[in-house]
Amino acid sequence: MKRRLINLVIVLYLGALFTGIGCHTLSFGVSAHPAMYFFVWDMFCGWSSYACRVQLVGEGESGAYYELSPGPWGDIKPYGDIGRRHYDIESSHSARMALNTLKQTHHEPITRIFIVEESWAKKYNLPDHLWSQRFSEPKDPKKYFHIRHVITPDGDILESNISWLDKQNGINLGKNPRLMSDARRSQPFFAFGSAKRPSGRFLPGGYLNTSGEVRVGSPLGN
Amino acid sequence: MTDVTTTTEMNLRRRFSRFFHAEEVPFGLAVIRILLPLVLLCPMLPRWFHARELYSSDGAIAPLWIGFGYREMLPELPGTAAVALYSVLILSLFTSCIGWRSRMSLILATVLYTYFNLFDAVSTMTKYSVISSHALFLLCMSNCGAIWSVDSWLQRNRQQRHNAAGRLSAEWPRSAVWPRRLMQLLIGCVYFGAGITKMHTSGFLTGEQLQTWLVTNLNYRNPVGEYLAQFPSLIVVFAYVTIIWEIVFIFTAWRGWGRRVMLGTGIVFHFLTVLTLGLFVFPMLFATIYFSFLNEEDAARFAAVFRRFAARFRSSASFVTIRRGATLFSSPPAMLRKRSGLLFGLTLLIAAFAGAEIEHLLDPYGERRPEGPHELRMLDSEYVKNTLLGPPEPVRLIDKFESFEIGTVLVGGVLAGRRTAYDVGETIEAQCTLTSGHEDMWLECSLHDDRDRPISHVGRVALREMLRCNFSYELSESLDAGDYSLVLSCAGRSLLRKHFTLRNARISAAAN
Repeated sequence: MKRRLINLVIVLYLGALFTGIGCHTLSFGVSAHPAMYFFVWDMFCGWSSYACRVQLVGEGESGAYYELSPGPWGDIKPYGDIGRRHYDIESSHSARMALNTLKQTHHEPITRIFIVEESWAKKYNLPDHLWSQRFSEPKDPKKYFHIRHVITPDGDILESNISWLDKQNGINLGKNPRLMSDARRSQPFFAFGSAKRPSGRFLPGGYLNTSGEVRVGSPLGN
Repeated sequence: MTDVTTTTEMNLRRRFSRFFHAEEVPFGLAVIRILLPLVLLCPMLPRWFHARELYSSDGAIAPLWIGFGYREMLPELPGTAAVALYSVLILSLFTSCIGWRSRMSLILATVLYTYFNLFDAVSTMTKYSVISSHALFLLCMSNCGAIWSVDSWLQRNRQQRHNAAGRLSAEWPRSAVWPRRLMQLLIGCVYFGAGITKMHTSGFLTGEQLQTWLVTNLNYRNPVGEYLAQFPSLIVVFAYVTIIWEIVFIFTAWRGWGRRVMLGTGIVFHFLTVLTLGLFVFPMLFATIYFSFLNEEDAARFAAVFRRFAARFRSSASFVTIRRGATLFSSPPAMLRKRSGLLFGLTLLIAAFAGAEIEHLLDPYGERRPEGPHELRMLDSEYVKNTLLGPPEPVRLIDKFESFEIGTVLVGGVLAGRRTAYDVGETIEAQCTLTSGHEDMWLECSLHDDRDRPISHVGRVALREMLRCNFSYELSESLDAGDYSLVLSCAGRSLLRKHFTLRNARISAAAN
């Protein structure tokens, strides 16, 4: 009886492992349930040529701006030198971090909370001595800022935008005039239909699914 | 036919039984039981000071299920309860390490470790957390606490002896090998899945993905990785070796030379991730669970080596003192043996209360400071309005180019043999690397002399999906010796330049 139970455990466990591998190989159902995270081994599944950081800014009634992360009690640096908020590349949890800072501090009434993405080309992360070996041009990094979300202190969303990377991909596609003309011509006059709209890919003049871009993946490579 | 089928089934059953149900002394799992909690304490212990903020409803949790589209899955704990349970987690990791109430400690560690990790998908929850949860789960079902543990000391009623040949005595407790087998298969599946991921990832086998990760500053410092990013041809070689090793690991790592090569490669691989990617916990975790490949023969070999090493110090004073000390504790007090469970429970309760009380005194949010709660830090309004919240700026053309290099040969589509001096008749391969996410572009590469006068140029289309664009320049005899440069241009603007020297120019005809 005990051996049968053990055999059942072995079969179930291995079945779960191989199911995860099968689903991952065929890209089927990998995001269906949080449990899949425990059986899909997609470490370093994406990448980007641009580094991204997250800044949380609160606007007070007086017009002053306040830093909402890190909190004034100190920053959490899980790995290396950067704060926890910078690992939230999808900005799914940044609002909660900002609201927690407001909850735990004394401040004037806050009217809006901005979640801002800060991006730059990763080549500028090279140390100066390696940069001078590789390039004859001087190092001139530039940062690009992009408002990702604007929320109220109650957590209501006032404005929500796609990520800076997705926006750049959209802009790059928009530089093809013939393609844009074809896309606009297929827009129905009335906005109804059974087709599911792709989420969050905005371009001037319409929607476009930019699923061909390189997947970014988790910042920690997991 | 029926006899053949029945024989085949019996062979399969026998092999399954031998593979999973053979009995052994759990040396490998005992080592993992000791080391794994220590590895996990490295990231988890510092987070105790932020447990309220990271894992409770009084903080900024980041539940994993939000990313999967689920609103709620597990109950959120209030701040004090989260801190108390987190303190119990820390203690259970410690008691797992020393092997006190091993099974209960491991069950507590597994449940609490997984629970708390699920509440912080931003920073705590990573794939090493997942693998650790698996490993803890498998340890729960094993008999890893039977040796080298407080439990075995409490149950001991006679000394273990070793015979003259160095083989371990049959008095060591034995148990079925299946938890260790499952852990070996877990490692193989992780590697196999990681290999599949790499096959799915565009830019991996051509080196761009690794090259950008080497200059990504999200983990700990990685100066070796930043240096290695300058050698994309080497990165491509590593990429192929890694993917082949990951795919074949599960099929070849079981015995003989396959086992030595696979595990040896794994140790080198994980050590290199420390140097090149700045990872620490992940490599330490794998170094620990690699002990699942330690069997009884290996343990006997290590024991013999250790005994020879210890024999050199047998007469030393410190060794004699240690032996005397060990003799004093060879038999546990009877009270401790009888009340171990009760003491364990009391210790957990004390840890929970003490943890909550200490955290309350530390006041991480500063709510009970004499001057009151913290004030928010004000930012410079001009900086915020004009920069952070300012109008979006287009990406500069120069930022769409990673690099521009010149060399003589392409290996796997990547430039190798970079040089700054060439001879007449050689062909320069100039390669520019583009960032992911650029539009279709027209690129020009022009040859300039030492006075920056253009001599010739060639143009190529760089489609949006291209990450590399190559230009070939033959250094013909019509060129004089001297300094030249190749200039990369786009949209009429010179962006990147590479200088080189031409040697062995043509010999001019001279009138005699």
